[in-house]
Amino acid sequence: MSTNSMSTQHTLTIQTGLEVVAVERLLQVTRYRGFQLCGLEMKPMADNNGLLVTLNILSDKPISLLTAQLNKLYDVQHLELHAPAAAVLRA
Amino acid sequence: MTGAELVIKLLTEHGVESIFGYPGGAIMPIYDALYQSPVKHYLCRHEQGGAFSAIGFARASGKTGVCMATSGPGATNLITSLADALLDSVPVVAITGQVSQAVAGTDAFQEVDVLGLSLTVTKHSFLVKNVNDLADTLRQAFVLAQSGRPGPVLVDIPKDVQLAQVEYVVPRSLAAVETSQAAMPLQQLQLARELIASAKKPIAYIGGGVHMAGALTELNDFLQTTGMPSVTTLKAMGSVDKSNPYYLSMLGMHGTQAANIAVQQTDLLICLGARFDDRVTGNLQKFAPEAKVIHIDIDPAELNKLRRADCAMLGDLRALLPQMAVATNCADWQQYCLNLKLQHGWRYDHPGERIYAPLLLKQLSERMPDNSVVSCDVGQHQMWVAQHMSFNTPRNHLSSGGLGTMGFGLPAAIGAKISRPNDTSIVVSGDGSFMMNVQELATIKRFRLPVKIVVIDNQRLGMVKQWQQLFFNGRYSETDLSDNPDFVSLAAAFAIPGHSISRKDEVADALDAMFTWPGPYLLHVRIDETDNVWPLVPPGAANHDMMTDLPQWED
Ligand SMILES: Cc1ncc(C[n+]2csc(CCOP(=O)(O)OP(=O)(O)O)c2C)c(N)n1
Ligand SMILES: [Mg+2]
Repeated sequence: MSTNSMSTQHTLTIQTGLEVVAVERLLQVTRYRGFQLCGLEMKPMADNNGLLVTLNILSDKPISLLTAQLNKLYDVQHLELHAPAAAVLRA
Repeated sequence: MTGAELVIKLLTEHGVESIFGYPGGAIMPIYDALYQSPVKHYLCRHEQGGAFSAIGFARASGKTGVCMATSGPGATNLITSLADALLDSVPVVAITGQVSQAVAGTDAFQEVDVLGLSLTVTKHSFLVKNVNDLADTLRQAFVLAQSGRPGPVLVDIPKDVQLAQVEYVVPRSLAAVETSQAAMPLQQLQLARELIASAKKPIAYIGGGVHMAGALTELNDFLQTTGMPSVTTLKAMGSVDKSNPYYLSMLGMHGTQAANIAVQQTDLLICLGARFDDRVTGNLQKFAPEAKVIHIDIDPAELNKLRRADCAMLGDLRALLPQMAVATNCADWQQYCLNLKLQHGWRYDHPGERIYAPLLLKQLSERMPDNSVVSCDVGQHQMWVAQHMSFNTPRNHLSSGGLGTMGFGLPAAIGAKISRPNDTSIVVSGDGSFMMNVQELATIKRFRLPVKIVVIDNQRLGMVKQWQQLFFNGRYSETDLSDNPDFVSLAAAFAIPGHSISRKDEVADALDAMFTWPGPYLLHVRIDETDNVWPLVPPGAANHDMMTDLPQWED
């Protein structure tokens, strides 16, 4: 897909369950709601009670449309949206 | 006890008396535990039908519906119904058997990744790996299904977990966390009151969330105090008191002209437990173009999703509505809306002898016993039910709204009858839809369920045919059903009596015969294949650009 619209890159850090399916849910919601994933990092939380997942999202839609959906996931314990990086032009 | 026995114990702990399902290898321990247990199992004849019955049970009663299926094909057969429950926010708990963990992930016999399949069609799903987690998982499933915005929850239980030994421990109070009250959004409420008090042309746009919040009394008090006109979605039909003169009925693609015209002109749209679905808004950019919007919902993801709200509130409608009930100054608007209603009322003076489905459904509505539950299928007949029948609560109108699933009606009517045995359960189906879960006639036969079945037979996939006629140059690709089975004989094969009618003058007696008969009954109604649903907002159009191509008798 190519568009000329201005897209913004957002970084989300999410604490979620330890199970693989918790990460699947994050990715499924991101895909279904029409957001582009451009980075994914994850590691166990310090207490080994869950995963700390960082998603880099590229989007020309308000990121709140994604965070509101991710926040509804039962296994998401905490979600933080970091200030957007500089706007990038998607070719 | 075994894990399987614990499952049944947990069902009784949650007051579950009736469940719907179908057995198979991977769920045999649970079926064994069910044998001679106090939980009544209704054997459906297809898992999709079982899950739709659970949905009908839930929607008619407000309780959680429970269905069960085996691994593999049993579980995949549930998927459509789970999607239906998700899109219509219906509390359902689905329990599936899974292959033993020793062979999991080996493409074992009847092994399918049910957890993976469930991700997009459930509110949440669990795979229970350890029998010690089973009780808490099931308890969480019941809480989740009902809490916030309700929805389906699936619990996948491997056979080894069902067979493992475990002790039943009395529950810690789990639900308490969920019932904590959100703080009142005081500033937003103040803004809402100001917007309402200063609006000249306010209108309430009411969705299924209102009755699900148990807020029908608060809604009607609010409408009474403010005097504002109102419209409802398909799922909210029956929410507004019949005595309210300013209620304009359903809006959207097949809504009334009065509802759509008024919404297009409103200066304040108060969206209550609804979600700006595309079948409601038509062209979203042109929907209610002059309106400021107040939007209240229990699901934060619905606020500002499709239409930006000038005042958005997350929370319980039961608590919020009374805080917004202020007087308005909209007498001219009220009068205007009354006139719209008068000007665009339904007409039933159809010429000729043939049965006109809208009139038949109006007669059905007038003749059915009080508090009957009407389930319907999907297509033209579904829209005619919404337009021409009248309900005193949304619990009496079960229609597959979000997913629009053909085959919903018959099993939903079974579930409704089981949840409310003292009320009459009627299904209005189409000749296409009826065949999609026709096997459930066997469930009706087995349990002698006095479900009243009305099949509106236009020998067509009528709704698709209508679109082909209007938007595909009359190229009727695969919508002809003129080789339908003989529906009355079909019912007779399941010991269900029936009768076939095709003339207007037969309708009254036929309806009376159906209601007088004590058991299940099928009334086959032949209608003209050329009848269409009006009005209609064509795809891409604004809601005021309705096609009102009036029936053939108009010139
Ligand atoms: C499972 C499913 N398949 C296909 C459709 C598409 N569809 C919508 S209405 C309709 C025709 C329904 O025919 P019938 O039940 O006879 O109702 P009618 O419109 O004729 O009243 C079809 C095929 C659907 N909604 N659901
Ligand atoms: Mg038909």
